[in-house]
Amino acid sequence: MSEHIVSSFDGELNEISDGIITMGALVLEALKRVETTFKNNDHNLAQEIIDSDAQINDLGQSVENKVFNILASRQPMANDLRLVFSAVKMALYLERCGDMCKGISKRIVKGALNEAESEDTINHLINMSIKVHSNLALVLDDYGNKNCQNALKVWRSDSEIDSLYSGVLTEILNAIKSNPDAINTLVPLLFIARYLERVGDQATNIAEETHFIVTGEDLTDEEKIQIENETTF
Amino acid sequence: MVTEMDQNVNIDDVDTKMEKKSLIHCTDVNVFYDDKQALFNVDLNINEKEVTSLIGPSGCGKSTFIRCLNRMNDVIETCSFNGSIIINGQDIYDPEIDVVELRAKIGMVFQKPNPFPKSVFDNVAYGPKLHGRFLNKSDMNNKVEDSLIKAGLWDEIKDRLNEPGTALSGGQQQRLCIARAIAVDPEIILMDEPCSALDPIATARIEELIDELKVNYTIVIVTHSMQQAARVSQRTAFFHLGNLIEVGDTEKIFRSPDNEQTEAYVTGRYG
Repeated sequence: MSEHIVSSFDGELNEISDGIITMGALVLEALKRVETTFKNNDHNLAQEIIDSDAQINDLGQSVENKVFNILASRQPMANDLRLVFSAVKMALYLERCGDMCKGISKRIVKGALNEAESEDTINHLINMSIKVHSNLALVLDDYGNKNCQNALKVWRSDSEIDSLYSGVLTEILNAIKSNPDAINTLVPLLFIARYLERVGDQATNIAEETHFIVTGEDLTDEEKIQIENETTF
Repeated sequence: MVTEMDQNVNIDDVDTKMEKKSLIHCTDVNVFYDDKQALFNVDLNINEKEVTSLIGPSGCGKSTFIRCLNRMNDVIETCSFNGSIIINGQDIYDPEIDVVELRAKIGMVFQKPNPFPKSVFDNVAYGPKLHGRFLNKSDMNNKVEDSLIKAGLWDEIKDRLNEPGTALSGGQQQRLCIARAIAVDPEIILMDEPCSALDPIATARIEELIDELKVNYTIVIVTHSMQQAARVSQRTAFFHLGNLIEVGDTEKIFRSPDNEQTEAYVTGRYG
């Protein structure tokens, strides 16, 4: 679509999109680091993830302020309105993803991986983080490219993350049953798995939002039900 | 319970989503000023008792179109019309139509308030007198009061009925013009940029009034303000270079229009 007659409006919209893209890049970087910490239990790296969350929060606040100003001064319509309206939600989703990465890292710093009973559990967490990272990267690519070609794919594959989560959950609960004394060391791993699963959920929210920005239509309940039926295990 | 009115509704006339009946049916409307064509094959149905906005850049034909609806273009010598506009089953371009009566049924409010150089009371009473209604003084008083109440003006000027209409503020003058239109019991009110000469407060009052009037009247409004169209209307039609490009629910037009030209216009990319 061509540029606005008022060129500064284009600049303001680009600032909002760039803010979301930068937030997304920071969250993806945090997720990548989370994966690394799973592999080497690097507490310093985990602390860096915790510290970098403030930058994601600041960017989210900055996007909100820009949206506020653009709504007041430009009264955007149609695709501009969709982009601006969705930016607030996208910023919130990404800010929460950052919080989840921070939550995971806090538990790692407190030693959640130090006494992990099973290497399998750690490997499953690594697999989850890789899948979550992949889904989030796909929908953020869509956002950057102003299309929604991956939206349904991400929606579908979220069930794989849910399935991985269920597997980890069962594994940890069984481990607790067989060794109740290990509960204090295993519960933090439950939280970590839960956080990753929630980042996966945020990726589906972002997929819905990009679909709305591009098409002007919400993903319908029918489409969601169809996907859920296709992917029910 | 099925009422007589329900039974008379042609199913083709009903917009099932909005559950509204089309009151005005425009088919293949073409308008020319001498050799220059201003409207091209416009097909547009307008629902009763709701507000329809006509938007588009200057010169796109929206004012020409709205003026077709009460044959105001007839007064322009060079203007010619072909096509069909049916209102309540009646072709308003039928040579047998009484144009004066038609314009009473289809009132019009213009960009610039144009009260007559008469008192506030006489401005409102002028139409009913012209049409030979309310010869009884008491009935006329009631009609003037009722019209001014409906136009949201009574409380402000009930003690100034003998002052010249031109002495009122711009916003009050515009509402006086609306009261004048209402006084002859129209079914349809046409508004051609009714707020473009008004300040934001007066504009807000007119918009509030439009919202109240749509309960009883079918309103068609030409506006250059996209936000105004979004605020006051249920349906919006976008015109460009004399063509009707897109018409639909206002929410749809401003959220995700189907046509790229519409999207370019409403987002300020047109040029």
